[in-house]
Amino acid sequence: MNQIDIATIRKNLGNSADIVFKEFHIDFASRIQKVDLLYADCLVDMIAVQDFVLETLMVDFPKLDTDQHPFLDFLTTGEVEEVTSTDSMYHDLFSGYVILVLDDTKIYSIAMAGIKDRAVTEAITETVTRGPKESFTESISTNRALIRRKIKNPNLWLENMRIGKMTQTDVSIMYINGIVTDKIVDEVRSRLSRIQIDGILESGYIEELIQDAAYSPFPTMYNSERPDVIAAELLEGKVAILVDGTPHVLIVPALFISFMHSAEDYYQRADISSLIRILRFVGIFIALLGPSLYIAITTFHQEMLPTQLLIGLAAQREGIPFPAFIEALIMEITFEILREAGVRMPRTMGQAISIVGTLVIGQAAVDAGIVSAAMVIVVSITAISSFVVPAMNMSISIRMIRFLLMGLAASFGLYGIILGIFVLVFHLCSLRTFGVPYMSPFGPFIAQDTKDTLLRLPHWAMRKRLRLINQKNVTRSNNKAPGPNRRT
Amino acid sequence: MLRRLLIAVLFISIAVTLTGCWNRRELNDLAIALAIGIDKAGSQYQVSVQVVDPGEVAANNRTMTRTPVTLYQAKGQTILEAIRKMTTVSPRSIYAAHLRMLIIGEDLAREGIGDALEYMSRYYEHRTDFYIAIAKDTTAASTLKILTHLEAIPANHMYSSLQTSQKEWAPTASITLDQLIMDIVSRGKEPVVTGLRLRGDRDEGGKRENVEAISSPARLQYSGLAVFRQDKLVGWLNEIESRGYSFIHNDVHNTVGIIDCPDGGKISLEVIRSKTTPKARMINGKPEIHLGIRTEVSIGEVMCKIDLTQKSSIYELEHQGEETVKSFVGNTINKVQGSYKVDIFGFGDVVHRTYPAYWKEVQNEWDSVFRTMPVKLDVVVNIRQTGTVNNSFMQEMK
Repeated sequence: MNQIDIATIRKNLGNSADIVFKEFHIDFASRIQKVDLLYADCLVDMIAVQDFVLETLMVDFPKLDTDQHPFLDFLTTGEVEEVTSTDSMYHDLFSGYVILVLDDTKIYSIAMAGIKDRAVTEAITETVTRGPKESFTESISTNRALIRRKIKNPNLWLENMRIGKMTQTDVSIMYINGIVTDKIVDEVRSRLSRIQIDGILESGYIEELIQDAAYSPFPTMYNSERPDVIAAELLEGKVAILVDGTPHVLIVPALFISFMHSAEDYYQRADISSLIRILRFVGIFIALLGPSLYIAITTFHQEMLPTQLLIGLAAQREGIPFPAFIEALIMEITFEILREAGVRMPRTMGQAISIVGTLVIGQAAVDAGIVSAAMVIVVSITAISSFVVPAMNMSISIRMIRFLLMGLAASFGLYGIILGIFVLVFHLCSLRTFGVPYMSPFGPFIAQDTKDTLLRLPHWAMRKRLRLINQKNVTRSNNKAPGPNRRT
Repeated sequence: MLRRLLIAVLFISIAVTLTGCWNRRELNDLAIALAIGIDKAGSQYQVSVQVVDPGEVAANNRTMTRTPVTLYQAKGQTILEAIRKMTTVSPRSIYAAHLRMLIIGEDLAREGIGDALEYMSRYYEHRTDFYIAIAKDTTAASTLKILTHLEAIPANHMYSSLQTSQKEWAPTASITLDQLIMDIVSRGKEPVVTGLRLRGDRDEGGKRENVEAISSPARLQYSGLAVFRQDKLVGWLNEIESRGYSFIHNDVHNTVGIIDCPDGGKISLEVIRSKTTPKARMINGKPEIHLGIRTEVSIGEVMCKIDLTQKSSIYELEHQGEETVKSFVGNTINKVQGSYKVDIFGFGDVVHRTYPAYWKEVQNEWDSVFRTMPVKLDVVVNIRQTGTVNNSFMQEMK
């Protein structure tokens, strides 16, 4: 390293008031050497700095024999590294490290982070009634700790990289060596290293930048706030991507079926979980096709309705000025507006507006004769069904596609809906995430992998891991069905 | 990739804007026709359509002063012309996919119903699940003008009544369009259609007053079966003969029969199950039909002195039942063979199935062969239950 000019560093930092510079001298290797300490006072633990760095160097140092040993031997701190580039020096400076410049030639960075972090609380977006209630926080080291606590195995490997030219965000990849397919890890690594962007603020940025199908409405990477979900996926042989500054951790590769699964499925009994999963699939169908089927059947295919129902619906439509499609659009858009508003509103008012407001507005619209009551029912059931999907990103995609199908239904009737579904299915089957087909185990039908898709078979029945994601270490468990020990 | 997306979007927008939604019919553009009546008017057809007023039928918003249905009528040279002409009086186009009843006037039936049924079978909107009835002693239009209790829509009333009656009362037989057309065409069976009568004051029938009294002044009733030769009406069967027809046609689900007790008085038997199997035999080059009728009954009402705990009484009653069945079935066959001379029982089909070569020879003069064909009956009646009591309490009256 050539000469390091503290004055230049001070100028580069623009004389920022929160960067502290301390200069002092020590007697080391038979010379008086200048030592400069730089740290950001908001990011370091001040007591630790005083105890371990300043006290060691200024008070205890002169008593030690300094001729035989290198400098690092004398520092009583844990993580000390020699820093070779100024970029790394700045990164460490803002990560809560103390930079020690020795004699204007050598730079060391000492870990002393003392950042105030949010406590580990309950996950806000993914709640379960049975199961652990902790969630990730914004600090990547806390998140790593939470995962390590779940999988106490030396094979859980971690690789770190810094992405984002301005933000230099820490992004880590975690995977279990021996279960994961190396091709997937290599692919993840190479895609991450190809990212060129100013700043990464959330894992959503990473998701958009490395995902497989940029134009598809369907998400190809799963994200979760819960350590138990991430740990379970790691055990399946998937790769986790942690991003500093957000509690949402990405999981790669994600299959279509993973978005229908919730963590609670695995903690409750197998039979009730299977039934609830089937309910979720029914909910998805209603969420996707509800208004479209109503529009198609009441405008094109009235012969499919039972006569009493037809007369009832016709009675409701007397006096309504809009055609069914416009009615559906009005109600759907109103619902979406109310939902969005309910999310952004301050918590004290949010609950009241979304549910009660929608029903009241719906009722008022029916009384005013603008929409028919059946339409309000259809739209409400559809909206509620769309919440049945546990993963938020999939739920959003389905909301978008529902509007498309409504348009097709209004133009071409049931035929249009079928065409739309065809296109959807073809599209889904053509998607791949990191080399794995998106619709497996249905796409390429692998019977053995369907034990955990529509139904959840008990843990002792799911013996093998998914075949397309793992090619090695396929066996999960080897139990027989439980029961009392039988004699002979 | 982007280019493909643009082309796809372009195609979709062209498709949607050029074709629009051309077959779209909103629910309030439909005049839902639940019953159609066809009559003769001079050399033209008079078509009456009973259309539902949905606002009056639904649970809320009823004004209660208007009737739940409306009648639109039009005259035309053909049925299709009449229905299209009806748009001059009706605010909406007639939507006949939910049709429940087709009533044909007796005059038209005597001339031939084939032409009327042609439109019904050809138009794409019509299904084949509606019942057909012949308006007896009245025009079809007048039967569509009666308001009914229990069912707000008279067409539904006629439909449910026929459906229930056909199951629970042997002299009623229902027929749907596909079955009727098959029977008209086939040489081995001639069609039989139920008759619809109007009882009471027909002028009052169309007003709300009809349903404002406990006992309606005007009522619709199914009575008698119309016998057809191909598509022309030739005669009517009365109640006993209709019952015989149902038995022969294996169409009895549940009905009531009355037999005489050995010591005087009457017992009514409720038929639980009945199965009739016709078999054809060739004797001396001439066909003969053996009808096997197997009926299981339960004792419905006992109006005489008889000890039902004795096996001998049960046997006697069964024997009496068999005689009764033999007698009315025999009477029916004789009446049809003698007076109407058309094979409404489907014996021709039975002969066709068993002796196809013979059938080929005689199929064109089947009616003359049918006229003199002997029919042998083999009736078995089994009494299975006696209800919830054994002997009538009247036995213990002193």
